[in-house]
Amino acid sequence: MAWTWFHRLASPPHVYRVAGRLTPWLAWPATLLIVGGLIGGLVLAPPDYQQGDGFRIIYVHAPSAWMSLMVYTTMAVAAAIGLIWRMKVAHAVAASCAPIGASFTFAALVTGSLWGAPMWGTYWQWDPRLTSELILLFLYLGYMGLRSAFDEVQRADRVSAVLAVVGVVNVPIIHYSVVWWNSLHQAPSVMRLGEPTMPPSMLVPLLMMLLGFTLFFGALLLVRLRGEVLSRERSASWIREALHP
Amino acid sequence: MRAFLDMGGYAAYVWPSYALTLTVMVLNIIWARRLLKRSRKEALRRLAIGGTEV
Repeated sequence: MAWTWFHRLASPPHVYRVAGRLTPWLAWPATLLIVGGLIGGLVLAPPDYQQGDGFRIIYVHAPSAWMSLMVYTTMAVAAAIGLIWRMKVAHAVAASCAPIGASFTFAALVTGSLWGAPMWGTYWQWDPRLTSELILLFLYLGYMGLRSAFDEVQRADRVSAVLAVVGVVNVPIIHYSVVWWNSLHQAPSVMRLGEPTMPPSMLVPLLMMLLGFTLFFGALLLVRLRGEVLSRERSASWIREALHP
Repeated sequence: MRAFLDMGGYAAYVWPSYALTLTVMVLNIIWARRLLKRSRKEALRRLAIGGTEV
């Protein structure tokens, strides 16, 4: 009984159809939240008492950094499921995550650098947080490079999945780097135990951006997943069904 | 309006950050759509040559 929904969930035609139907339900709320968050962050939130208007970089930097970690975790979990249960769809999810995660890791690094320049007096420092985030970018790029080295999708799936799973150790290192080591980077101000360290006028736009980016990732993932599932599919009947409704 | 654009003297850091992040978002939309389109085209091509196994 329990296995029927599991198999249905993982069957390519079902995934292709449901992903297509679900996409707008993530994309539209994401758009509204991000537009609202941008207005809240750029216009409504008051300037910071120490950093003035420079702190507004947080509204693009923190969500990008959050994406870099959340997407990697999703990728590693999907890759592990693909390895353990030999599930094609899970491998397709992992493959879909990589370019999204890589691009937002890049954005997190560059926006962080643009924030560091006026506040720390330097664009870059070999600091634990910055260095581990750079390693994350290399993990994504390594994963993508490794995939493209194989002609056969199934082999690319299996080999790259091992890298994705091993690389996940870097995720807690990044998150706790500011706690474990002396870092230029500030400690978490939202994702921490206890009260956030921001007033609601600053916090609400940030939470909107974080949720908006997360839903945006969901929408992107679904679009990419349909492409990945389709390219792995060898059964003519459902491709015909999927593409000629 | 000028004060808004000036960002309290941080304009040179704030606006490039926002521009880059929005560019990454737009590129992601383009890339994802392109991937799906290409996979569809490729699947149709396989259908045209193959039988039940494509």
